[in-house]
Amino acid sequence: MSRRGIISVGMIVAGLGLMVYAYFAGAAPWCATGVACSNPRLEWSPAIFVLGVLLAFSSALYYEVSNGPKE
Amino acid sequence: MTRYAMVVDLDRCQGCRACVEACKVENNTPSAVFWMYVFRLEEGEFPDTKMTFLPRPCQHCNNAPCVKVCPVGARFKREDGLVLTDFARCIGCRYCEVACPYGVNYFNWRGPEDAWAPYGIPFDDADLAAVTGGAVPAYKNPDHDLLHGPEQRLTSGSGHYKGVMEKCTFCVHRVEQGLMPACVDTCPVGALKFGDVEDEQSPISTFLRNHEHFQLLEELGTDPSVHYVGGTPPRSDAREIERPLTGV
Amino acid sequence: MATQDIMSRSLPQGVGRWSRGWLAFMTASSVGLVIGIIGWWMEHDQGMVATGMRDLGSMGGATWGLYISMVVYLVGVSFAGITVAALIRLFDLEQLKGVARMAEVLTVVALLLGAAAIVVDLGQPLRALVNLFRYARPQSPFFGTFSLVVSGYLFASLVYLYLTSRPDAARLARIPSRLQTLYRWWAAGYQDTADQRVRDRRTTFWLALAILPLLIVAHSSLGFVFGLQVGRPGWFGTLQAPAFVVLAGVSGVGHLIVLAAILRKVVGQEHRIGLDAFAWLGRFLMLLLFVYTYFVVVEVFTTIYQPTVAEQQISEAILTGRYAWIFWVSIAALVIPAVILAQMALTKRWRIGWLVALGISVNVGAIGKRYLIVIPSETHGQLMPYGVGSYSPSLVEYAVVLGLFSLGALLIGGFMKLFPIVEMEEENS
Repeated sequence: MSRRGIISVGMIVAGLGLMVYAYFAGAAPWCATGVACSNPRLEWSPAIFVLGVLLAFSSALYYEVSNGPKE
Repeated sequence: MTRYAMVVDLDRCQGCRACVEACKVENNTPSAVFWMYVFRLEEGEFPDTKMTFLPRPCQHCNNAPCVKVCPVGARFKREDGLVLTDFARCIGCRYCEVACPYGVNYFNWRGPEDAWAPYGIPFDDADLAAVTGGAVPAYKNPDHDLLHGPEQRLTSGSGHYKGVMEKCTFCVHRVEQGLMPACVDTCPVGALKFGDVEDEQSPISTFLRNHEHFQLLEELGTDPSVHYVGGTPPRSDAREIERPLTGV
Repeated sequence: MATQDIMSRSLPQGVGRWSRGWLAFMTASSVGLVIGIIGWWMEHDQGMVATGMRDLGSMGGATWGLYISMVVYLVGVSFAGITVAALIRLFDLEQLKGVARMAEVLTVVALLLGAAAIVVDLGQPLRALVNLFRYARPQSPFFGTFSLVVSGYLFASLVYLYLTSRPDAARLARIPSRLQTLYRWWAAGYQDTADQRVRDRRTTFWLALAILPLLIVAHSSLGFVFGLQVGRPGWFGTLQAPAFVVLAGVSGVGHLIVLAAILRKVVGQEHRIGLDAFAWLGRFLMLLLFVYTYFVVVEVFTTIYQPTVAEQQISEAILTGRYAWIFWVSIAALVIPAVILAQMALTKRWRIGWLVALGISVNVGAIGKRYLIVIPSETHGQLMPYGVGSYSPSLVEYAVVLGLFSLGALLIGGFMKLFPIVEMEEENS
C-alpha cells in the first residue's frame, strides 16, 4: 500500500480508537446509582469521541487531497 | 451506609396541603410549581364514589429513568438514595421531565427577575413593605446557595435559575443537618415519615415491617424510595377533582 | 452546457451572478431570519415562558413542543439527501447524478437546522455547548443524537459534499472570474486524469458505505429518545426507531423532488435532471410510503386492539379527539400520494408538476406526524391521575421556526451562487 494509503488507514484506526476509548472508558459509565455515574471518567471525553469521528472521516479528505505529483 | 426513604400513610392524610405549603415556603418554589403535590381523587361512578388524597413527592427512584436520560449528568442519584439536580450543570433540555412517569419535574420557565410576576404581588408597595419589614421578596434560606454533600454540588432549593430543571430534593439541605424534610416536619397528623431504611432499628424500618405497603407504578420497575401505607394505588378510573394553579 | 460555458468564459448556472429573482428570494429569507432571531431573543430574555410549552402533569402542559417536533423532522429530512447521494455512487445511477449535489447540500443544511432547533429548545443553550462536550453521558439517548448525528453525520456529509465537488471546482478554476482563487483553493490540486477519477470513485464509494450505517444508527438513536421512555405510554415501544428511519426517508425524498424540480428550472439544467431522475425518486418515495403506511396500520391496530388505559386515552385523542384533524390530514397527505405514485409507476407516466405537489404533501404529512409523535403523549395518557393537559405553540415558537426555515433558504440560496448546485457534466465521458 502506498504511504498515503497507510496514513489514511492509520487515521481511520486512530479515529476508531479514540471513539472506542472515549465511549467505553472515558465517558460516564453506563449506570444510574451513585455520583460517579453522572461524571465522565475523563472530562471532555465526548469531545474526544467527536474528534475521533472527525479524524476517521478526515482520512477520506487526506487520501483524496494529498495526491502528490508522483502518484 | 444510609439510605433514605419516605412513608406516606394514606389512612392519616386528610388533604390539608400543609406539606405542599411547607415545601413551597422552605424551597421558595415559583408559581404553579409543586415539588410536593397532593392529588384529590375521585374513583367510581356516583353514587358509588370514593374520594382520596394522594401526596406525591418525587419518588427518588432506585432505578430512576430521569437519571439515565440526563445528557450531562446534572440529574444524579446519591449513594444515600437522594436523586438530585445540579443546577449549575443542567442545560434545560427537559428530558428528565418527559422520562419521569410520576410527573415530578418542573422547569424554570422564568428567570429570577420576574419569578414573582404570576403572583401579582406588588413588592414595591409601601404598605406591603411596612408590614413585611422590607422583606422583599419572600425569605430565601441561605442554605440554598451552598454546595451540598460529599459531591459538593448546587442542589437544594429553587433558585429560580432560568432555564434549569428542579424537583423535590427530600430537603437535602435539612437532611444533611439531621432535620426532617419540611413536608414531614409540618404534617399535622403524622402522615409522612422519613428515615434510614438501611438501619433496621429505625422507626421507619420498624413501621414498614409492621405494615403492608405499596409503591406507585411498581410495574414500571423504577423502585421508588417512597412507600405508601394504608390505602391502595389509584385505580385506573381515578380522576382529579381539583386542579392546581397552572399559570406560570 | 458546461463546456459551452467554459468556452464562453462565464460561470455556469448563474454562479457569481445576481438576478432580481434571487435577490428577492434572499431578501424575503433574510426578513424571515430576522423575525426568527427576534423571537429567539425574546425567549432567551424572558425565559421559555415566552413559548406555549409548560410542565406536564400538575401544570397541564407539554414540555416538548414544536421545536422538538422540528428537530425530529429536520434530522429526518437530512436522511434522504445523503442516502440518495450514497446510492448514486454505490450503484452508479447515471440518471440521478444531476441531483447528487443538491441532495448533499440538503443533508448538510437540514442537519444544521436540526441542531439549531435543539439549541433554541434548550433552557441554557450556551451552557449546553460546553457541557455536552465536557460531560455528555452515553447512557442518555441524547448522546447519540448530539455526538453521532450532529457531529459525525454532519461532518461526514460535509466531507462527502466537498470531495464530490472538487472536479467541478477544478473546471471552474480555469475560468477567469472573481471567484477563481476560491475555486483553485477548493479544488486543492485536483487533476482531472482517468487515474484520479478511478480513485475518486473508490473513495466516494467507501465513504458512502461508511455513511449509510452511521445514518441508520443516528436516526435510530433519535427514535430511542422517545421509544425507551417507559413513563410515556404513547412513546414506549419498539417501533419508534424503525418508523423514524422510514418517515425520515419520506420527508427527505419529498424535499429532494421539490428542490430538484425548482432548481433545475432556476439554473437551467433541465437536461441534467430528466424525467428518469424523477421517476426513480418517485418510485423510491412510493416504496417508502408503502412501508410507512404499513407501520401506521400496525401501530394503530396495536393501540386499539387491547390498549392500556393510558394508551387508550392517547389513541382516542389522536384518532377521534382533539388531535384527530392533524392525524387524518397527515394520513391523507401521506397515503394519497402513495396511491398516485403507484398509478404513475404502473402507467410509467411521470409528471413533474404532480411530483412537486406530492413532495410538498408528504412533507406536510411528515410534519404533522412528527407533531403527533411528540405532543399527545405529554398531554394525554399520564400514568398518574393528572387531568388532561393542553399545548399550542406561541407566536414566538412560530417565529423561531420561520427563522430556521429562512436560514435554510439563505444557506441553499447562498451556496448556489458560490458553486453550481447541479453537477457539471464530465467533459470526456
